[in-house]
Amino acid sequence: MKKSLYVFVALVALFALVATPMFAQGGGEASSPKIGFIGPMTGDNANYGVLSNNSAMLAVQHFNAKGGFDGKLPVVLVTEDSEGNVEKGLSAIEKLSSADKIVGLVGPVFTGTTFAVGERVQNEGIVMLSPSATHADITAIGDYVFRTVVSDGLQGEVAGHYFYENLGLRTIGVLYAKNDYSQGLYEGMTASFEAAGGKVTIAEACQVGDKDFKTQLTKIRSANPDAIYIPNYTAEMAQILEQARQLGIKTPFVSCDGFSNPDIYNLAGNFTDGVVYVGPAKVKESKKYSDFVAEYTAKYGVGPDSFATNAYDGTNILLAAMNTVYKKTGKFDRKAVRDAVAATKDYDGVSGIVNFADNGDLVAYQGLYKVNGTTPEYLGTYTVVDGKLIQID
Amino acid sequence: MGTAEFFQHLMNGLTLGGIYALIALGYTMVYGILKFINFAHGDILMVGAYVGLFVFDLLRGSSPLGTWTVVAFFLAMLISMAVCAILGMTIERIAYKPLRRATRLAPLLSAIGVSFILSNSAAWMLGTQSRKFNYPFDNSSINLAGVIITPHQILILVVSLVMMLALKLFVDKTRMGKAMRATSLDQDTAMLMGINVNKVISLTFAIGSALAAVGGILIALDFKVYPSMGTMTGLKAFVAAVVGGIGNISGAMFGGILLGLLETFGVAVLGIPSGLKDTIAFGVLIIILLVKPEGLFGKVEKEKV
Repeated sequence: MKKSLYVFVALVALFALVATPMFAQGGGEASSPKIGFIGPMTGDNANYGVLSNNSAMLAVQHFNAKGGFDGKLPVVLVTEDSEGNVEKGLSAIEKLSSADKIVGLVGPVFTGTTFAVGERVQNEGIVMLSPSATHADITAIGDYVFRTVVSDGLQGEVAGHYFYENLGLRTIGVLYAKNDYSQGLYEGMTASFEAAGGKVTIAEACQVGDKDFKTQLTKIRSANPDAIYIPNYTAEMAQILEQARQLGIKTPFVSCDGFSNPDIYNLAGNFTDGVVYVGPAKVKESKKYSDFVAEYTAKYGVGPDSFATNAYDGTNILLAAMNTVYKKTGKFDRKAVRDAVAATKDYDGVSGIVNFADNGDLVAYQGLYKVNGTTPEYLGTYTVVDGKLIQID
Repeated sequence: MGTAEFFQHLMNGLTLGGIYALIALGYTMVYGILKFINFAHGDILMVGAYVGLFVFDLLRGSSPLGTWTVVAFFLAMLISMAVCAILGMTIERIAYKPLRRATRLAPLLSAIGVSFILSNSAAWMLGTQSRKFNYPFDNSSINLAGVIITPHQILILVVSLVMMLALKLFVDKTRMGKAMRATSLDQDTAMLMGINVNKVISLTFAIGSALAAVGGILIALDFKVYPSMGTMTGLKAFVAAVVGGIGNISGAMFGGILLGLLETFGVAVLGIPSGLKDTIAFGVLIIILLVKPEGLFGKVEKEKV
């Protein structure tokens, strides 16, 4: 009897301990509007999510330091972990939309998750700005879906044309992963490369999370293409580059914007030398950008990657739109916020001037990089207009 | 397919299979003695890889590649084997021994629990990102008439072979090995004959876990170190053990090599899409269970009444 009493008291104490901060938070900030962030915060791809979430936090801090909405109402950022997979992403948006009642969402970081979460936000009428979901069809989900990153449609087009015209490649072997992001890039690049006159002679697939690529690489080695295209994430690309070297493959590698994450140099080291990749167009050396990088680096100990830069702009655009609506109406109507985001014109962000196309895509350019040792060097800014590759600068 | 490509696939398959075989030994030994599958085996492998990584980095300091780094690597491997042996024995003592007389399902569930505890603790303490295990030697490839072999692949083959032969000799030729075989045949009778069954079981876990540590370190050199690294490799090694006939040491070796070759050649020759590589192992498992459930080397065993 006595024993069960102790257990009961202990349980009550435990509940009180866990619940107190919950109640405190609920009471104190009841009227503060919330925005959400979804991204991989743990797991092999955590680096992508953490860097972008830092940006969202930084944007929110600045916004609240200036007083928040209409100078009096602070915003609350709620971050949810997707581990980069669809199921976790769906339960994250479930929580954000029903429990937290967010007004807008920054993220999710990965394309596959964004497809699933995008359907949900479209139905719920929550505006979403992805800093990094690049699949061409993402913005086709609906009018609540925006992105501050370049669509793969453009990336694939620029890649195919640049590989054929500027690098002089005629045959390419591809090693892609079976997910939306990787496969989308592979298909986009293939379409424009073959339209230009080249040929993808061999395409091998892998799964995200694979560690052994020797079989695929041996087959590609035998096909002997002019170059090997690897549209993948850092963990896989590092393995591929290292194992290709072990198999004595001297064929040059070409890659995608996933290569712009600096983690690749920790994992792959010198094997990155000589890789040419299509990435984000270089940010004009604005004071805004250098201030952002300096503050970010001082605060978090690492520099932002291109997705994090996009996330900073995305968060600020969302907050600005919410502020406009709040000033006008005194509340946060989701539809009105969405319209305000769509109306964004020539937003002067850290990544440059941001405009959205009618479908929610970022109006944008692509950058070309070549890695020298473990340092990426900028080759130029390109875009494709009417099937022609044009160099901007 | 040219000759060079064929031998390249052969080499890739053999090294992959060598690792599977090494890990399969741990499953098969425990099954042989206790008739249960130690699902925490893959996670002991992961612990082994982390211990190896930390000890190696500590011993190596900033010294350049050379004799010392190779010595440090093998020292790290020995230390990691010892740590894992103790870990394996401890797990057995805490999580399996109290359940030895329970239903067969109980220790299996306990093992799955231990597996989660190990991998989640590692994720919590060490983070989930991959860490690079630096090669202790120059790993530039050697070209043998178009077939590329790395020192790492040779190391895998040599170490797996040595370990497997040593284990085979130990089980077949020593007194302790005899006690082990007796225990596996019939625990109660073995006890009546004066064999210290508890000691034999502890030793089995110690050896199996030490082999897992070696497997973990050999994989880590190529595949990096991360908390969930033992899951897929462990499952595949388990398949290898079943294919070879679980409980049978030679069978585990054979099953491992066979699985490595099948995965490689299934994609290269049979034209199975490379995205389906992982399904090969489990497809083979289903076929074996349907056609020859006792495994290629296993003996048909009548359920004891």
